[in-house]
Amino acid sequence: MRNSIEFVVYGEYALFTDPLTKLGGEKLSYQVPTYQALKGILESIYWKPTLIMVVDEVRIMNPIRMESKGIRPIEYGGGNTLANYTYLRDVRYQVRAHFEFNMNRPEMAYDRNEHKHHNILKRSLQAGGRRDIFLGARECQAYVEPCVFGEGKGFYDGYGELHLGSMVHGLNYPDETGRNHLEVRLWNPVMKDGVIQFIRPEQCTQVRMIKDMEPKHFDETNVVSADELLTQLEEGRNP
Amino acid sequence: MSWLLNLYETFESNLDLVGKIEKKHNDQEYTLLPVSHTTQNAHIEVEITEDGEFHSASVIDKSDASTLIPCTEESASRAGAVIAPYPLHDKLSYVAGDYAAYGGEIKKEEPYTYYIKQLEDWANSPYAVAKVKSIYHYLSKGQLIRDLVEHKILYLDAAGRLIDKWDKNAEAMYGAKPPIFSVISGEQTSAFVRFNVYSPTKILTKVWKDQEICDSFIRFYSSRLGVEDLCYVTGRLLPSTDKHANKIRNAADKAKLISANDKSGFTFRGRFNLSHEAASISYEVSQKAHNALKWLINRQGKIIDQRVFLVWANDELEVPGLTEDYFSIDPTPVTTKERISFTNQEFADEVAKALDGYRNRLSSKANVNILVLDSATTGRMAVLYYRNMDKELYLDRLAKWHSTCAWLHRYRKNDNGEFVQFFGAPATKDIAFAAYGPRASDKTVKGLMERILPCIIDDRKIPLDIVTSAYHRASNPVSMEKWEWEKTLSITCALINRQEGFNVALDTDNNNRDYLFGRLLAVADVLERRVLDSVDENRSTNAIRYMNAFSNRPARTWKTIQDCLQPYQARLGKKGTYYSKIIDEVASRIPVDQFNNKPLSGLYLLGFYSQRHELYQKKENHDVVEASN
Repeated sequence: MRNSIEFVVYGEYALFTDPLTKLGGEKLSYQVPTYQALKGILESIYWKPTLIMVVDEVRIMNPIRMESKGIRPIEYGGGNTLANYTYLRDVRYQVRAHFEFNMNRPEMAYDRNEHKHHNILKRSLQAGGRRDIFLGARECQAYVEPCVFGEGKGFYDGYGELHLGSMVHGLNYPDETGRNHLEVRLWNPVMKDGVIQFIRPEQCTQVRMIKDMEPKHFDETNVVSADELLTQLEEGRNP
Repeated sequence: MSWLLNLYETFESNLDLVGKIEKKHNDQEYTLLPVSHTTQNAHIEVEITEDGEFHSASVIDKSDASTLIPCTEESASRAGAVIAPYPLHDKLSYVAGDYAAYGGEIKKEEPYTYYIKQLEDWANSPYAVAKVKSIYHYLSKGQLIRDLVEHKILYLDAAGRLIDKWDKNAEAMYGAKPPIFSVISGEQTSAFVRFNVYSPTKILTKVWKDQEICDSFIRFYSSRLGVEDLCYVTGRLLPSTDKHANKIRNAADKAKLISANDKSGFTFRGRFNLSHEAASISYEVSQKAHNALKWLINRQGKIIDQRVFLVWANDELEVPGLTEDYFSIDPTPVTTKERISFTNQEFADEVAKALDGYRNRLSSKANVNILVLDSATTGRMAVLYYRNMDKELYLDRLAKWHSTCAWLHRYRKNDNGEFVQFFGAPATKDIAFAAYGPRASDKTVKGLMERILPCIIDDRKIPLDIVTSAYHRASNPVSMEKWEWEKTLSITCALINRQEGFNVALDTDNNNRDYLFGRLLAVADVLERRVLDSVDENRSTNAIRYMNAFSNRPARTWKTIQDCLQPYQARLGKKGTYYSKIIDEVASRIPVDQFNNKPLSGLYLLGFYSQRHELYQKKENHDVVEASN
């Protein structure tokens, strides 16, 4: 696929919080990562307001295991409380994804240099991402590496179908939809032999409006274009 | 599927059991509650005629007090000064229109007005049934306490107020203590009233057992539920709720699985401002899932120190538990001698056969759910572990566990209280006792049980610290009583065998140093035991006493043990040659460079157990031969 990358992301723990358990604070992880969590990882590898990252599919390599930990979250009013967080343990995912230009940001049109963005994305992945990578929650540190999607032996090879029920697909932010709302999307994923094929965000039919939200504004004044960045690199500034 | 969806489906596939009262082993009643219903202990039963007149009333016996009552979201979680009446049956302060007139204390407003308004709405709704209308007609007159006093259910003092508690003054007025005071712990005003409709001509179902009324209320109430929202569990647009059930583990349990009263912990705030922005769940799903969960916990949950371990399948509830030993899954009496010669493969087939019964009962698409719940604080409960797996996989893993973590055990009693031998995996609870001693706290036990789950379900290694701890306890027989040590020993052997994959039957070809050392120890033990038994001495043998030292410094300790053995060998004379021969044979197979003081691994326990077992078998056979001669 055009502009696509394939990578593996792995870590000791992962916490893709089921929103129902987020309310009370006793967090429980979904069994598999959400679209939004993987998109977040992609955006940690390389992010630019010019682009929209699209996750195509994920392959769950290790068996789904859970482990709970006693956690001492801080109460912002002072003191602390006690809670049990239930994490996924020892996870490894192969991801295939690509980027598209964000047509809801006409002000970023000057930065749409597809080939360069793709190369920067691949270099960033090679370097392990531009920002910290984490799996669902900040305390679950993770690592990314390039890979060939589908290569290697996975636990769920030949496993058949696993229906995962209703899950959050992701959040619709105003700069990606053009609507000035924050929305949440649900869907019913099915894992086939360890692989979940994601539908595109706009294909989700179960969309719920959360609240009004305005997109943040970006233009030449607060973004350095890819072309300019290349010039800077050639001059030896901004390594 | 998510755990909530699975619980919801469990409710849906067990609709025929809704409202049926079942009894636990301790005679406690439980039931799969219908939506919008709960149970309460009632004290007074009032019979009302079909045209809404008072007929009679009685005080309810404690054994019959549990009543299924309709409830609303607000009433189900009412507390403190909140006025939230139950729709039909409720306390006197709600149902009696003349409550204030008889001295009942009212906080701020009169609860009765709220109650009667709610009942009126129901009675006038298209979903109402005749019985509800009759009850409404009577109660709208507001003379319940007057009628109850007239019929000598409630009692007034000289000032015409309800008596608070039965005392000398009351006794002077009325004589013997009326029954109402023995069923209510507090004041008369706190009595809970349930209503029934009486007909002189027809036999009517009791109101609280009437399916029609139950359905009527569910339909009435669901028509009045709030705005529809996307349910995160089913993905459908349904009326949502933000009030969820408590009392999940028991009636006094305040912890909720889903709650959002938290504005200071910033659990969801940031991207979201309000709890309903972060997630929403429909009233129906919340009710059904929680009711199914409570019912399952009562039915088959295992609770240790407030931690719930639950295994169930959606359509066939009973599945073999994870924490059981093989004996409780298949308690068919086993003839051990036959079993001993079994190889692991044969035993695995046996286990598979026992589990096939379950396999056939479960439908092809059945999934097995494993859920562990616990709460860190009183208010909130967390899911500590959740797995939803294919039943085939589950039963295969269970079979694998029972056939690999297996050893010969002697600590179980059958129904007649006799000790029986069984071959198989020990229960997780027993593993905890073997590793941490019989006085291990529930906290320790529940922690270990949670850690063992992945070993069974995912076929993982048993955590080393558990095996080591059990090994050290088993190597120290003098620290405990004989039966306890034997139990610890066989369980430890099972744990070690999980990694090694040996048989109980002695492996004479095994040249592993630790295994051979273990065999030596067993021969020394049996030899000395034989002499001690013949002179009726009950003290432990030198081998057992030195076992701990032996496991740490085998070569040096073996010298000590062998020295101590000499008098016994002399006593046995010719009879002892058999044992001496084994000692020679085994010892000669340990290479010289390995006959040192390097501490022994757990393997030596297997060698010890198998050799000892072998000798006792031989001895029995030997005796039989002698007797026949």
